[in-house]
Amino acid sequence: MNLDYIKDKKILLVDDEPELLDMVANILKEEGYQKLKTANTVNEALSICKEWKPDFAVLDVMLPDGDGFSLLKQIRAFSDIPVLFLTARGEDEDKFQGLGMGADDYIVKPFLPKELILRIGIILRRCYKNDQPLIRLASCELDFDKAEVIKNEEHIPLTAKEYEILQALYRNAGKIVTIDMLCQAAWGDNPYGYENSLMAHIRRIREKIEENPSKPVSLITIKGLGYKLIVEG
Amino acid sequence: MKSTLKLFRRFFLVLIISIILLFILNIILFIAITYNQIGNASPWKNAEIIAKNLTQTNDGIFKLSNEGKKILNQSEAWAILIDNDSGKVKWNSDNLPKEIPMQYSLADLSWAIRGYIEDYPTTTSEYGDDLLILGNPKTSFWKAMWNTFDYNMIANFPKTVLLFIIFNLIIIFIIYMVSISGVLRSVKPIVTGIEALPDGQNIYVKEKGLLSSLAVSLNRTSEKLRSQEYKLKKRETARANWIAGVSHDIRTPLSIVMGYASQMEENKSLPQEERKKAGVIRLQSIRIKNLINDLNLSSKLEYNSQPINKTLINAVSLMRGIVVDFLNMDPENLYPIIWDTDECLTSCMIKADANLLKRAISNLIINAQVHNPEGCIITAKISEEKDMCCFTISDNGQGVTEEQLDSIRNSPHYMVCDSNAGEQRHGLGLLIVKQITIAHGGTVEINHSPEGGFMVSILLPLDQG
Repeated sequence: MNLDYIKDKKILLVDDEPELLDMVANILKEEGYQKLKTANTVNEALSICKEWKPDFAVLDVMLPDGDGFSLLKQIRAFSDIPVLFLTARGEDEDKFQGLGMGADDYIVKPFLPKELILRIGIILRRCYKNDQPLIRLASCELDFDKAEVIKNEEHIPLTAKEYEILQALYRNAGKIVTIDMLCQAAWGDNPYGYENSLMAHIRRIREKIEENPSKPVSLITIKGLGYKLIVEG
Repeated sequence: MKSTLKLFRRFFLVLIISIILLFILNIILFIAITYNQIGNASPWKNAEIIAKNLTQTNDGIFKLSNEGKKILNQSEAWAILIDNDSGKVKWNSDNLPKEIPMQYSLADLSWAIRGYIEDYPTTTSEYGDDLLILGNPKTSFWKAMWNTFDYNMIANFPKTVLLFIIFNLIIIFIIYMVSISGVLRSVKPIVTGIEALPDGQNIYVKEKGLLSSLAVSLNRTSEKLRSQEYKLKKRETARANWIAGVSHDIRTPLSIVMGYASQMEENKSLPQEERKKAGVIRLQSIRIKNLINDLNLSSKLEYNSQPINKTLINAVSLMRGIVVDFLNMDPENLYPIIWDTDECLTSCMIKADANLLKRAISNLIINAQVHNPEGCIITAKISEEKDMCCFTISDNGQGVTEEQLDSIRNSPHYMVCDSNAGEQRHGLGLLIVKQITIAHGGTVEINHSPEGGFMVSILLPLDQG
């Protein structure tokens, strides 16, 4: 996948358990993330934030000199970086508190490395989508900056809805995105959805991005459930 | 306070009815008694009888028949016949007292007729043109001598009676109010207290007044209830906290185990054999993870400390989201999930706690995966049946025997079993599914799947709004 630009992002890991920090750092390094720093305490994390200016932070909720929620508050005083909470506290209230304070995601321990990497990837792609170069699909390239498809050197503009739907699919590239999530991305919250409209938009997107729209290879239907965007590596 | 008012109304009704009843009964009794009295001795009637039984012979001698004499004897009365012209006594009975005069002027007569002769109450009857006076014994009657009535008074009699009745009713009502308000004052706090007891409120009733002993025992009951509730809650909280604490402390070390196991499993420089072992460690760690999650939630559900936030949700979207999450986490496609929902069913609205319901359905899918380590095809289906929304997860895996099915359906789980006896089920997945479903007012159906595996359906009431 042509997503290497997110691997250049500076990531700060904060947890009071050195073993866990080692492991997470290890996982991220294996995945290709090179710029990592770790901190064990709120104070350490704050000074790294100020000096090193990371692009993304993974925070534990329970820290020896404070908690992750207040750390986030202090970081927010000078920075808007995306944040993911990684915590052993699985209570729903904690979850809402974390997300309510502007965290981008929340993972309850124990977790699988795959899940962590997936979610970090989604957040980074969403938050730094302006940095993204052209996205290569099987028979075209996507340029989200200009909201257009480049197929056979022809520039085809995307409508607003098509753009939203493709964005949602791209953020979860290689994964199934449900019909409901796509409807929400394009039309906002509505319990009854716009499934028929969605199908019409998908057809038009396929006409723009597929070589043969009736035999799609990039935008695949998962029957009854949703769609999947295949991005070329 | 409703009940006090009811009590009050009832009291008043009973009072009014008893007064009316008492009034009627009294009249009946009065009539019965006076009727007898009139029948026995009517002195006016006696005078008439004497007059009839007194005869005058041709030579001018008066004679009283035996019947007349008998009546005189019975009533111990005497009789005189006064001549119309002279005012002299023409005849007298043999028992005439000496003090009775034998000559009467008109004035004497008016007095004698209206009232008494020498304190003997008199009654009269005519005898031709003459007058017969019957003198009754001194203490036998009392005569009303001034019996004149104002005409207006007679004319207004019905009104007067009505006025009397109303006046009396008002007086009775006031007396009743005064007496009952005292009782009400002392009953009211007790009634309020008893009404508040089931809500678990802390109540205190002032221990004085008519019903102070009742108030004392009510206060003691409330105190006892509170302390019992407190102890119970304390114990339940301690238990839930203990479980939450243990599961919390396990999470970080388990993350490290899972993380490194996964890495080793995917490390291509390791021999195939070692990578497989790492895979087993990862899978078993996931089992522990699911177990601690379930243990925590299950204990909370059991002790009602898990808040249930019901919102209007589309069951189809929810189920779709869960299925896709599982598919996305299973890139090897070891457990393909078939979406077997009618394409026309795009929404199925229910009121439910989305997180809890997601947990229940995820548990069913995890169950299918855990019990079929070699992989299996899972089918997910949503359907509307009558006024229920039915979530079904089935698989084509190894399934269960009839005995196992029976045990899953009927044996109590060790988490909720209060005795040590009997075969108890283990594994928390299905228990949580049941607990969550019950908390939503639904039912769980467990069966063999048509493909020979295991099948569970969760039925929840559709939103009627």
